[in-house]
Amino acid sequence: MAKQATRVPGARTRAPNYRRREKTNDFLCVLPALGFFAAFVYYPIVELFRIGFTNWNLIKDNYKYVGLKNYKWLFAGSGLDTWLSSLRITFTYTFWEIAITLLGGILLAALFNRESKPFSAMRSIVFMPKYIGVSTSAIVFMWILSDQYGILNYILNLFGLANVAWLNSEKTALASVLILTGWRVVGYGMMIYLSAMKGISPEYYEAAKLDGANGFQRFRYITLPLLSPTTLFLFVTTFIASMKVFQSIDVMTSGGPYESTNVMVYWIYELAFVEFRVDRAAVVACVFFVILLAFTMATMKISDKNVHYES
Amino acid sequence: MSNTTSLTNNKALHMKTVWTALQYILAIAVTIVIIFPIYWMIISSLKSSEEMLRPVPSLWPAEFHWHNYADALKMAPFGKYFFNTIVMTVGIMILQLSIGAFAAYGFAKGHFPGRDFLFIVVLGALMIPIQVTFVPIYVMVAKFKWINTFAGLIIPNAVSAYMIFMLRQTFKAVDDSFMEAARLEGLGRTGIIFQILVPMCKPTIMTVGIITFIDSWNAYFWPKMVTTTPLRRTIAQGVYELKRSYAGLETMNQNQIMAGAVMAIVPIIILFVILQKYILSGFSKAASK
Repeated sequence: MAKQATRVPGARTRAPNYRRREKTNDFLCVLPALGFFAAFVYYPIVELFRIGFTNWNLIKDNYKYVGLKNYKWLFAGSGLDTWLSSLRITFTYTFWEIAITLLGGILLAALFNRESKPFSAMRSIVFMPKYIGVSTSAIVFMWILSDQYGILNYILNLFGLANVAWLNSEKTALASVLILTGWRVVGYGMMIYLSAMKGISPEYYEAAKLDGANGFQRFRYITLPLLSPTTLFLFVTTFIASMKVFQSIDVMTSGGPYESTNVMVYWIYELAFVEFRVDRAAVVACVFFVILLAFTMATMKISDKNVHYES
Repeated sequence: MSNTTSLTNNKALHMKTVWTALQYILAIAVTIVIIFPIYWMIISSLKSSEEMLRPVPSLWPAEFHWHNYADALKMAPFGKYFFNTIVMTVGIMILQLSIGAFAAYGFAKGHFPGRDFLFIVVLGALMIPIQVTFVPIYVMVAKFKWINTFAGLIIPNAVSAYMIFMLRQTFKAVDDSFMEAARLEGLGRTGIIFQILVPMCKPTIMTVGIITFIDSWNAYFWPKMVTTTPLRRTIAQGVYELKRSYAGLETMNQNQIMAGAVMAIVPIIILFVILQKYILSGFSKAASK
């Protein structure tokens, strides 16, 4: 408070009434936003937990409280198998999206790190897919991945490889979706790494050169450690984004074939709007929310200790 | 002695040229792979149905079938989709920027009890995505009779915690003396926000605004939940709906579906090319905060 008083000269000499009005007006500035978050974020999450204890079916008007019945359905009933398989699929998808963003991103950042007009133009092209709507790109990739007429299978044939069923087989469907994901995110990872690399002081490299470090050693012992805050940022944001994957699944596979791409959000959506079991959807969403929260908190905590910051 | 140095120098120079050449080749290869789907979409949109299904795909259309675009427009109301998308996107932008600017001012420059705690409440919203809470939000929006309306598309996205966070960071960097001066000139809070802070923070606001614009333009999840008829569908669903309208005959009409995809993507590509400077700076900012 003392700091604030010195920052606003004259605030002390003005009447207390004036100061109170100022405080009220400052508060009124944030009130619309707070009201919004109360109504569209915090109320719904509380409501979600409440619905989980009911037997609400979207096509019926009435419902009653049934205690932990929906949780039993999920953890010890017929929902368990689907839940476990959906968790596994979601984490597999997330693992690969993070791997592509981080590994692909850093490799492309090393490759495209050159100051010249052609490289600047190529960087823009590689970065662009991130901004093209997922649903529309998904339609284009479905054509490319078409097992009978797709150009990708044609190219495979040229190399003497057999046709792959891509989206039509439960073995390759998730990988097919990940091809689209990789195309979208790799340039984004590259751009984030490149902008962080620009911030590294050239003195480090000069010093390492004097010590006789070669290009690879400089990358390994200077660039990589100094990029660890960027890696953490990419890891956390990509984790949260990819756990929520829905669009590409909805357009390309609808969770199939044989539920092989039934990721968590898609399953919640189906429970709520196809089966109308809002109660079950709420329970799955609540558990999903807790998982998201726990993982994000855990990564933050672990990485707090292991990230190198440039001092 | 001098001979060996020049030899190693020569060798080093040689290595450097090889690496540069290799870097160009690899970079060009990656760029081709990334741009290929876009190229393929455009080329496919101009082929005849017969040419689309040839066993050996052609890299350039034998004949340009521009009528694919007209045919696609007949199958799906793209004009309406574009109109809906523009109204939704502009509405979300205006609300997020104005409500966000007020909130950011309050959190950056205001003094009231509980300010920092309430800011954490705002940031906490980032941890609760709509993909988790959409069921209760849908029920609420249905109660308000907002299904298939612009209100339903816009209002659940009217405030963004990300926007408030970014604006607060930039407003904080503005020295208080500017605001004191403005206050002495007789400006109120609204004046200070929109005549002093916003113009001073123009680059950040441009960047955040553009990213919000593109995100809303491409939004798929919530618009899908809240629209059940073509009346208020947006372009992100448009191509998928176009594809579904061929009901089983998609393979025959891939060229028209690709024409629809081109129409859906082109505005964003143009925007990206014009505004990429801002988009890029936005990402380095986001990553450094």
